[in-house]
Amino acid sequence: MLRIDPKSGKQKWYRTDGAKSVFSALISILIGMLVGAVLIVIVGLTKAEISCGGIWDGIRLVFLGILSTGRNGSELSFGFNPVNLGNMLFRATPLIMTGMSVAVAFKTGLFNIGAPGQYLMGTAGTLSVGLALGNAGCPVMLAWLAAFLTGMILGALWGAIPGIFKAYLNINEVITCIMTNWISANLVTWWFDSHGVFKNSMEGGKIGYIIPLKNVGVVTPKMGMDVLFPGSQANGGFWIACLLAVAMYIMMTRTTFGYELRACGSNRHAAKYAGINDKKNIILSMMIAGALSAAGASLYYLAGNTEFFWSTYLSLPAEGFNGIPVALLASNNPIAVIFSGLFMSMLSICGTQLKSLTAYNEYVADIMIAIIVYLSAFSMFIKQMLNGAEKKKGGKK
Amino acid sequence: MVFLIQQTLLFAVPLMIVALAGVCAERSGVINLALEGIMIFGAFVGVFFIRIMQENDIFMKEQGQILVLLTMIVAAVCGGLFSLLLAFSAITLKADQTIGGTALNMLSPAVVLFFIILISQQTTMGMATGGAASWFMIRPSTFGLPKDHSWGPFLDVLLNKVYLSTYICLIVFVLVSIFLYKTKTGLRLRSCGENPQAADSLGINVYKMRYLGVVLSGMLAGMGGFTYALTTANCTASGEVAGYGFLALAVMIFGNWTPLNIAAGGILFGLFKCIAATYQTLDINGDGVFMLSEIGISPYVYRMLPYLITLIILAFTSRNSRVPKAEGIPYDKGKR
Amino acid sequence: MTSEYVIEMNHIRKEFPGIVANDDITLQLKKGEIHALLGENGAGKSTLMSVLFGLYQPEAGTIKKDGKEVKINNPNDATALGIGMVHQHFKLVDVFTVMDNIILGAETTRMGFLQKKEAKKKVQELSDRYGLKVDVDAKIENITVGMQQRVEILKMLYRDNDILIFDEPTAVLTPQEIDELMEIMKGFAKEGKSILFITHKLNEIMAVADRVTVLHKGKYIGTVNTKDVTKQDLSTMMVGRPVQLEVKKEEAKPGDVVLSVENFTVPSKLHKNDAVKNISFNVRKGEIVCIAGIDGNGQTELIYGLSGLEKATRGKVVLCGKDISACSIKQKSEAGMSHIPEDRHKHGLVLDYTLEQNMVLQKYNEPQFQKGGFIRFDEVRKYAETLIDKYDVRSGQGPITVTRSMSGGNQQKAIIAREIDRDKPLIIAVQPTRGLDVGAIEYIHSQLVAERDKGKAVLLVSLELDEVMSLSDRILVMYEGEIVGELDPKKTDVNELGLYMSGAKRQERGAE
Repeated sequence: MLRIDPKSGKQKWYRTDGAKSVFSALISILIGMLVGAVLIVIVGLTKAEISCGGIWDGIRLVFLGILSTGRNGSELSFGFNPVNLGNMLFRATPLIMTGMSVAVAFKTGLFNIGAPGQYLMGTAGTLSVGLALGNAGCPVMLAWLAAFLTGMILGALWGAIPGIFKAYLNINEVITCIMTNWISANLVTWWFDSHGVFKNSMEGGKIGYIIPLKNVGVVTPKMGMDVLFPGSQANGGFWIACLLAVAMYIMMTRTTFGYELRACGSNRHAAKYAGINDKKNIILSMMIAGALSAAGASLYYLAGNTEFFWSTYLSLPAEGFNGIPVALLASNNPIAVIFSGLFMSMLSICGTQLKSLTAYNEYVADIMIAIIVYLSAFSMFIKQMLNGAEKKKGGKK
Repeated sequence: MVFLIQQTLLFAVPLMIVALAGVCAERSGVINLALEGIMIFGAFVGVFFIRIMQENDIFMKEQGQILVLLTMIVAAVCGGLFSLLLAFSAITLKADQTIGGTALNMLSPAVVLFFIILISQQTTMGMATGGAASWFMIRPSTFGLPKDHSWGPFLDVLLNKVYLSTYICLIVFVLVSIFLYKTKTGLRLRSCGENPQAADSLGINVYKMRYLGVVLSGMLAGMGGFTYALTTANCTASGEVAGYGFLALAVMIFGNWTPLNIAAGGILFGLFKCIAATYQTLDINGDGVFMLSEIGISPYVYRMLPYLITLIILAFTSRNSRVPKAEGIPYDKGKR
Repeated sequence: MTSEYVIEMNHIRKEFPGIVANDDITLQLKKGEIHALLGENGAGKSTLMSVLFGLYQPEAGTIKKDGKEVKINNPNDATALGIGMVHQHFKLVDVFTVMDNIILGAETTRMGFLQKKEAKKKVQELSDRYGLKVDVDAKIENITVGMQQRVEILKMLYRDNDILIFDEPTAVLTPQEIDELMEIMKGFAKEGKSILFITHKLNEIMAVADRVTVLHKGKYIGTVNTKDVTKQDLSTMMVGRPVQLEVKKEEAKPGDVVLSVENFTVPSKLHKNDAVKNISFNVRKGEIVCIAGIDGNGQTELIYGLSGLEKATRGKVVLCGKDISACSIKQKSEAGMSHIPEDRHKHGLVLDYTLEQNMVLQKYNEPQFQKGGFIRFDEVRKYAETLIDKYDVRSGQGPITVTRSMSGGNQQKAIIAREIDRDKPLIIAVQPTRGLDVGAIEYIHSQLVAERDKGKAVLLVSLELDEVMSLSDRILVMYEGEIVGELDPKKTDVNELGLYMSGAKRQERGAE
């Protein structure tokens, strides 16, 4: 039962559905991190080579790894670390984009587990066009734009495939997404394998990688990030991601197109009955999702100094899959995706800190993320518990 | 030819058994997207168990076959236990099954890699000594016969250079199929995936049946995961099974949720997978010509083929597909 | 000591979040009697029976069997006490065979394996003895609704139940099939089985029941002997006030043809045959044309085909002089069609949208509600408030109520408000009163009549014979995808209608 303030006719802010989503997400996060800490303790106690100090270090890094400034003698030290914070923003960029991709598809009732494939298509498109145009001496801004857009278009086309299968043949998008993921992994490997010009043969031992875009100067401007976080990889890509998130939010909530997409998502039959072209909307939604995932890859590689291991036919990029927890934690709200993306990238920074500063490894962070996703599946249940607590407090009406 | 059939079986069998795992869960009404994760977990548990047995000298090379059997049971039990996480979230808490499955798919490699690194200081964990072939492969010497003994072409396919796990999986496949279609519990389990309200009105405990379906599914997937690790990954665990769990889901869908079609689908898929893996050394008619590699088609095309074919087959078979009606919908007794 | 009653439910109370479904209800069933449980939709009949059947646990009250208090925790307990139930919505597994459905939950096994041979023999015996003809090897999805009901009855008999509950068993049957069922029920009673018969149809009660217990809005009204009361008495008890059993309306004054349908054919999703076979009819201004028939004879597909939800394979549809055969759903709707859909949850509403968002489900794209692709929320709010006012749609928070949280009656009112306000020349209404209480039914009927009087053409699809007889100006009967008769409600009766509905009688049309 909803409770309404009798005077204003409005709900108290902390009783709104949105606030409850935030609370339940925070509860999931807290439990996830606690499990991480417990894991650290248990493993520390069973492993002879990890001392009590080591356990304490591990726990502190789980929660505060982002503020870690390394070791001062034998003690861990904490403080403002511009490199870690900047890298957090940088790594959050692709996560925000893939998270948004999953979220937009979710709103249309589709589970876009195909983000990794779309991400790879974006990678291939951006790197190829960026390198080709950069080598040809095209103006940097133009080359940047062309590379970014090519990535997005390829991603959109790739996303359209599961969309078409779903719309016209009613085949579960999960399966088609997984198939297209692996097809794209092979396609991308094949493309770079047969186009030697893109391989990094200049530097020794780097033939397995594609030439980084900084070599041709096609790089995203820093937009002030170098001042805020000197020494880190942070760049203007983060701002672009935030801008896109706001645009997506407006599109979903304020426009007739968003109205149509959400109608298709929550009741495809009713949408059809209302004269909304459900097939078109499903395909469009998957195309947008694909473009967003691919844009994540574009922004990541347009940083310039990131390297792509092209023989990827046996593995799919984790950024794609990690879009799923990002979206779930954000209850598929594009604005909230920014924060959940930041949080996820913070956890992965904590993971690398754990790896470099203690005897633990970075997979602690992955375990925490997985547990948070697992708990976010119960968000309905947690919300009900919050409602229940409220009802008890309120007593009978 | 012998080689081709054996290789195809190696790829097909884990797919079949894991696809059947999907059937057990979905026929009871729960989408098990976590098959991949459970396979990864099963593979890890299996290899880890073998390591412990080797390190403590409990089993010797001579008892390799017993060790395989035992490990499969251990992997199955642990897969079943792991799947309880999905069952709890999907059945007891009525949470979104897709999300729950995805969480397990993320949790499993994370946990597995966390421990593999702690155990072996690298991202792959193998056996303590020896390899899959030297310890577990069945060959003439297993039966005390000379190395170059031949039983003739037919029996060679079945007995020379094969793994016991393949046959155990096939037997389990048949047994579980019989269970689903010929027993009381199987009938009840299937009714829960189609019309849980009807089942409930007849005094069948839907929650119990769904737990049974999911745990059975976890056991089969765990077993399938270890089988995969043993036969196609040289008995190593590395936090991935190359998307096999998802492929099994696809096989399940185009097998229309029935064992016989799944077997056919698994073999078809295994054949393509096998061609992709071995086309360079594949000598189909035994004349010393490696036809497939000489056509000059990129290896990536062969590797893509299984997925591409799946897509195409799905496109053609989707019209006749018969999804269990109540799959994916949490059962709520109190709901009117 | 033996009790006069086989089953006694004393002072039963059952609550659901927000409502009390059963408030202090007492029901006593004698051996060998047919006892009717009467009440309108939402009166708490089904809840009470679910309590007796062990599907729900009551908050208060006791249940006695043969004078001894019993606790029924689940359907197994109920079965052990000999209680069986035919549910209103059949509880059958579509892809299983008739046989599998009958034995499910009461299987004969040897070492866990099913023994179907013995079971088959028993089913055959029961089927012969009571004249319940079924094809044991057919799948449920391929047999008629009538046969499905016989399967449900056989399920009870197979379990040797002697207290049989029938929950609204006649809703899906033709008048002739209803007569048959009544005979079967009387037969059971003669053998000493006790029958609880849930219904809101007074004629049936007068025909078979010995006693009636009446519920109203979750409360116990009373128990009476059928022979001591009249239909009017019962309806007053059921509704709480005197009701008009007839719909008040003037003579229809049909005008020009609004909708004309020629040689219309729609394929079926369930089987290979066409669901609608080559039918032709028209609807004129100022008349209510009703499509009558038993559920599943192509009515749903006909409307899907007309509205565009499903593709017709053949035929010509002309609406207001415009050929709309090949148009999209949107074009059809804009050409002059309002559609009150059969399933309000599936088609009528986006349940997770607010009431105001649902009110503009077809209109969000009109200039009034959008500017440059952005929705004008203030206009939407204003419009929704007007409709809510005009059609008296009640909800917790007005326009921002999430429709999922509204009552069924008000959800339906919202749809009717939206569709009528679109002011299109043709109104298609499919089972517009399904599952609603008498007040809402009366309201909806009066709205439809008012629209007719304004000169609208109304195409009504109904399964309720009373509704068909009282509301329509012209009746078209559908049987197996064809129109088998065109009748004038004033010149026909329920029995004749039933003969057409069951396919026993048909007119050769095309002469007109």
